[in-house]
Amino acid sequence: MKMDTPLPAVRLMDLHKRYGDFAAVDGVSLDVRKGEFLTFLGSSGSGKTTTLNMIAGFDDPTSGQILLNGGAVTGLPPQKRNIGMVFQRYTLFPHMTVAENVGFPLSVRRLSKDEVNSRVLDALRLVQLDRFAGRRPSQLSGGQQQRVALARALVYEPQLLLMDEPLGALDKKLREEIQIEIRKLHHRLGVTILYVTHDQEEALRMSDRIAVFEHGRIVQVGSGEDLYHCPATAFVAGFIGNSNFLRGSVAERRSDAAIVKLGENSAVCVPVDAVGGVGSEVRIMIRPEEIKLSHALSDAAGAVIPVTVRERIFLGDTISYEVATRDGQSVLVREDRARNQGRCVGPGTDAYMHIAINQNRVYKKY
Amino acid sequence: MILTRNRLGLFRFVLYGHAVLVMAFLLLPIIFIALLSFGSSRWMMFPPPEWTLRWYEELATDPRWAEAMWLSLRLALIVTVLSVLLGGAAAFALVRGRFAGRRVLKAFFVAPMIVPVVIVAIALYAFSLKVGLNGTFAGFVAGHLIIAVPFSVICISNSLRGFDPALEQAAAICGAGRLETLRRVTIPSIAPGLLAAAVFSFLASWDEVVVSIFMASPQLQTLPVRMWTSLRSDLTPVIAAASTLLVLASLILMALLGLSATRAGRSKMQ
Amino acid sequence: MNAAATSGTFREARAAWPAIAFLFVFFALPVGALMLRSVTDPQWGLQNFSDLLATGTYARVLFNTFLVAAVVTLMSLLIGYPLAWLLVMLPARWQQVLLAILLMSMWTSLLARTYAWLVLLQKTGVINRILLSVGVIDAPLPLVNNLTGVVIGMTYIMLPFVVLPLRATLATLDPALMHAGAVCGASPWRLFRSVLLPLSLPGIGAAGLMVFVMSLGYYVTPALLGGTGNMMLAELIAQTVQSFLNWGLGAAAALVLLCATLALYALHMRYLDEDA
Ligand SMILES: Nc1ncnc2c1ncn2[C@@H]1O[C@H](COP(=O)(O)OP(=O)(O)O)[C@@H](O)[C@H]1O
Ligand SMILES: [Mg+2]
Repeated sequence: MKMDTPLPAVRLMDLHKRYGDFAAVDGVSLDVRKGEFLTFLGSSGSGKTTTLNMIAGFDDPTSGQILLNGGAVTGLPPQKRNIGMVFQRYTLFPHMTVAENVGFPLSVRRLSKDEVNSRVLDALRLVQLDRFAGRRPSQLSGGQQQRVALARALVYEPQLLLMDEPLGALDKKLREEIQIEIRKLHHRLGVTILYVTHDQEEALRMSDRIAVFEHGRIVQVGSGEDLYHCPATAFVAGFIGNSNFLRGSVAERRSDAAIVKLGENSAVCVPVDAVGGVGSEVRIMIRPEEIKLSHALSDAAGAVIPVTVRERIFLGDTISYEVATRDGQSVLVREDRARNQGRCVGPGTDAYMHIAINQNRVYKKY
Repeated sequence: MILTRNRLGLFRFVLYGHAVLVMAFLLLPIIFIALLSFGSSRWMMFPPPEWTLRWYEELATDPRWAEAMWLSLRLALIVTVLSVLLGGAAAFALVRGRFAGRRVLKAFFVAPMIVPVVIVAIALYAFSLKVGLNGTFAGFVAGHLIIAVPFSVICISNSLRGFDPALEQAAAICGAGRLETLRRVTIPSIAPGLLAAAVFSFLASWDEVVVSIFMASPQLQTLPVRMWTSLRSDLTPVIAAASTLLVLASLILMALLGLSATRAGRSKMQ
Repeated sequence: MNAAATSGTFREARAAWPAIAFLFVFFALPVGALMLRSVTDPQWGLQNFSDLLATGTYARVLFNTFLVAAVVTLMSLLIGYPLAWLLVMLPARWQQVLLAILLMSMWTSLLARTYAWLVLLQKTGVINRILLSVGVIDAPLPLVNNLTGVVIGMTYIMLPFVVLPLRATLATLDPALMHAGAVCGASPWRLFRSVLLPLSLPGIGAAGLMVFVMSLGYYVTPALLGGTGNMMLAELIAQTVQSFLNWGLGAAAALVLLCATLALYALHMRYLDEDA
């Protein structure tokens, strides 16, 4: 570690959590910068909650270290970690009013009544619920309840805020509304946020950086753009954004490039160091919007693959096609309507698919 | 609805009539006894020739009855506290713990409800004779606690099962320690279950007859034991007065429970 | 400490120890010791059991016990089933009223209720007096100090234990089945016989078994309403121990009662499982 790097807000060092033989978290290492909004993204069961619970102190790691602001917190109970947390379920105390819920962490800290009241009011204003201070949680909607939970997590100004799928139970419209609210709060308060979701769109919308989880490991950490453009594995590529995977096998290796055959009569050129030996399987990932369809061969750089158009769907600003290669692989293509203007590639017709092979998106295995 | 009432034609009036009769069957004896306890006739003439509070007076002033009442009350209160504590802890283990033999343990906790009371009573009687517990206050407490604990375990398990442990995590992350979480979050959340456990434990002890008969000594008798022994000699209206007190206690406590249940139900609805 | 906050570890199990210790010392141990006495008191062997079989009293008491338990079960089912049925059809508010009465009755002092019947059923009691004055009978009926009294009192006490579970069973039956039957043109009576009754049989079985088991071991009501000549098993056990100080014989009778109870209870649980 260089001397001038500030201490990370959270440092996970080779974290493991086993339940019997099963490794729920299997060697996670990560630095979360101060003030950063970092999201754990991964499908259900990939170990996000377990990791978060270990940071919160609800679970002890089987091995590995957790540092908060540079200090090890092993064995420190949750109540001593000064962390805020919002859970997926609305974990408001049902027997307390909204104000009592938000005031709970402050009264636990033995603050004076006046201090508690004024800070509760501030926190409730922050989430625009000051009018509901006297209500019971059961008298609020799901979204309101989750905003109260947010206020409760923020009222004691924790150094770190953990959020485990906080919007999972809300409908789409409300979810987007609160996403924006949380994002704004993050900018305003500068608190470090560790956010968990299995929704890639949510992750892209909110995060400074995203850590993608698979089978208890982090397979890639980076900004949304990094992950979208240079997914480290086929799994990441598949998880973030829409993607097509073309199956092929290595036909020939030269010094500068390798030839990959896609079915009987088409082949593409790929960087040689991205593939294995002759005959080995290859997956090439192509984003739907990076494909151009045309009736004529053009001499643009990249590969050209003959296809048959199966379906054309008009989606307003874009047009989406489903095309099939000669060996029967189905590919999704999306074109801007503006760019598509005039051309008509109808269902049932033959066409050419122009693609640019990006070396970061050629995978040896899925 | 199994079968809509109005589909049943005239037969539904048979059902209505039946229900009215059964309700009368359930209620009338209790009402009858309560009325008789205010009647002046020592031979329990009905309707009573005159109304009087004489039997209650006797109940309060005759030291044998008064002491029995006082003993029953103290006993019921202590048993209630102990039962809720023991049963609450046991319920916590049953609901939260993950260990082999949980089902067996649960069966063990409710076993005193299934084993006939008379067997519990004479088994405990034999045991008490050996260890010198017979005729002592502690012996009564132990005996009643055996009967009361299963109710606590069941009531508190049920409400703990409906309580989301994530609320305890939320309290912990808010900075509350173990005890503060218990006091300010867990216990208030399962309060209806605790109340039910307390009510049923109280009633189980307050009304306990069989174990008490064996545990009692001439000097130490609970109200039901006192009733039992005098019942065997005559039917004096003092017993009716005592019965009315027992019934009244049940009524008040059950009403309390009903009230808390409807309140809990209402706050859930909102 | 940390682990305690997560859901489920061995640590939580420790909270069970006080209750386990208490019930072990004051319940399991004494009951076990008592059962043991059936073969060790006054000396090792099955002498007590052969004594039990040899005495005519015991056989009669056993017969009485099963007879009363059976009659009480039958009566409470006959009275309770129509009530349970009506309960599920009634509007919610009326259901609550009836349920409140049932629950209240169930939790009202057993001794007080038994005493009430003792008074009511006397030769000079209200019931006989009413029957006499209406002219249904010429001489007072012997309603108490015999098995009739026991059956009346026990049925009264067991009724809620039948109605509440039966209502629960009936409430879970799919109404669509009945409607389907009705659409087919079946009369209510046919519907009852060929749809409702068969479907509620498991519930009837479970409730009936429960009441039967409870009746077998009942002490207070039979002892008070049955009089001296009509003992039931629980009273016999108590008397053998308390008055005759014959612990071995009492323990043997207790063992018989316990085994019958546990066996029937196990059957009851099986019924419930199948029902669910
Ligand atoms: N207490 C536990 N005992 C056994 N397995 C568990 C436990 N908690 C979590 N797991 C397992 O660990 C894996 C990761 O779980 P989790 O961290 O909750 O996933 P995520 O939050 O990413 O959906 C899952 O397969 C889950 O079944
Ligand atoms: Mg999760």
